[in-house]
Amino acid sequence: MDFKEKFAPITKGLLEFLVLKIIAADKVYVPDILQQLSETEFATQEGTLYPLLSKMRREELVDYEWKESESGPPRKYYELTAKGRAQLRETMEFWQQINETVKKLGKP
Amino acid sequence: MNRVITINLNGVAYQLEESGYEALRAYLDHAARSLEGNPDKDEILADIEQAIADKFRALLGTHKTVVITREVSEVIAQMGPVQGDSGAATEAAAGAKPAGGAQAASDAGTSRPGTRRLYKISDGAMLAGVCNGLSAYLNVDVSFIRVGFALLTVVWGMGLLAYILLAFILPEARTSEEKAAASGAAATAEEFIRRAKAGYYEGMKTFHDRQAHREWKRKFRQEMRGWKYGFRRQMQENASQWQQNWGQTGAPHPGGWAGMGFTMMLLRWVKLLCLALAFYAIYSLVTHGGVFGMFLPVDIPVWVGVVAVLIAYQFVTWPIKVLRYSWYYRGGMGWGCGIHSGPLDGLVWLGFLVAMVWVADHYSPAFHAWLQDLPPFIHHTVDQLRAWWARR
Repeated sequence: MDFKEKFAPITKGLLEFLVLKIIAADKVYVPDILQQLSETEFATQEGTLYPLLSKMRREELVDYEWKESESGPPRKYYELTAKGRAQLRETMEFWQQINETVKKLGKP
Repeated sequence: MNRVITINLNGVAYQLEESGYEALRAYLDHAARSLEGNPDKDEILADIEQAIADKFRALLGTHKTVVITREVSEVIAQMGPVQGDSGAATEAAAGAKPAGGAQAASDAGTSRPGTRRLYKISDGAMLAGVCNGLSAYLNVDVSFIRVGFALLTVVWGMGLLAYILLAFILPEARTSEEKAAASGAAATAEEFIRRAKAGYYEGMKTFHDRQAHREWKRKFRQEMRGWKYGFRRQMQENASQWQQNWGQTGAPHPGGWAGMGFTMMLLRWVKLLCLALAFYAIYSLVTHGGVFGMFLPVDIPVWVGVVAVLIAYQFVTWPIKVLRYSWYYRGGMGWGCGIHSGPLDGLVWLGFLVAMVWVADHYSPAFHAWLQDLPPFIHHTVDQLRAWWARR
């Protein structure tokens, strides 16, 4: 099993967190999100992202609005809800704790 | 020249090549299936279709109005397999469960490549699609399988029976997912790409060329007829020869008749029993993966087991055959001059030998090591011989 495969559950689990972070910065539509992720270890595809976004919307973390585009049909632009922001804050804190734990453990 | 199919993606028409359309439809079918039970299924599918439409639009222009198959495959690959999140429901219920775990678990269920299954495939089939299914299962060109069956039929008569048996046993691959499972892959984008590259859909296209198909069919029938006549003539010659021999050798020994007839009948019954056992073995191999309580090791595919049974059958009945022909040709012709003389039995033995070597190579490390050392050893020996020759 190669390294990437071994840590697939971690990257998958973190994806939701990162998507929250991206949407928090700006109103985005799916190609934007994919583009931002594409240069990272978390590169993903529509087939994964759309179901994830719909799940997050069901959990009321994100919402979207339709916007006209100059080329082609209207697009869905996603933004965070209040609940989404709260969750992002919590996750950030948890992530920092994890980071510190990783640094601290195993040191004399 | 390829046929073009017009599709409607979220209200906009796109023209795709036919095989590209097939791939896209299979992709969307699979997406719909993996989103089964998801409350937002329709919305996600609409989003996916929209994303595909956007990608198609980027490819097209005023002078390019058709999306070709390769482009469809590329777009599907970019989209990636649609992953159902049935985990979401259980996640909410379980509460404390870490979010990543449930998601990953449901993904593992949907995106793992499917195990290979033996199906009948009727697309481009000549009869029931057994050969087609086998060809997909073994990843071998279908012509080889057909010739193999034809040979088995003509030479041993087993091919036709095996075909009929398989035609009854095997389920038919109906959905595109089952068709994908027949060649051992999940209906993922990568798989469509691989197939498009391997020219899988090209075969389907030539099938639409009726003229070529008819021509091929005619040729196939002609060959089969040729084989049939040849076989019949041989049988007749044998029969007349047998009668001649019988007249010479059998007549002076009227007492031997009863004994010999009995032996012949016994031999025939033993052979029939072997045949029945072989059929039963193949049947239970295909349906349960094992014979008489012995199960194939996991890493050995079923077809190897079937071939092994066929070879074992030939191996077991070989002495019976030889005995029978030695009876027939007692009048001076000696052993092994029957219709199944030398070369074929040789082939059976060769096949058996190869199978034994293969099994030994797989399951005995010592033998494997020995086999690995063989080529250098031969090189070394040849070099030494050459040196010796040069010295002379």
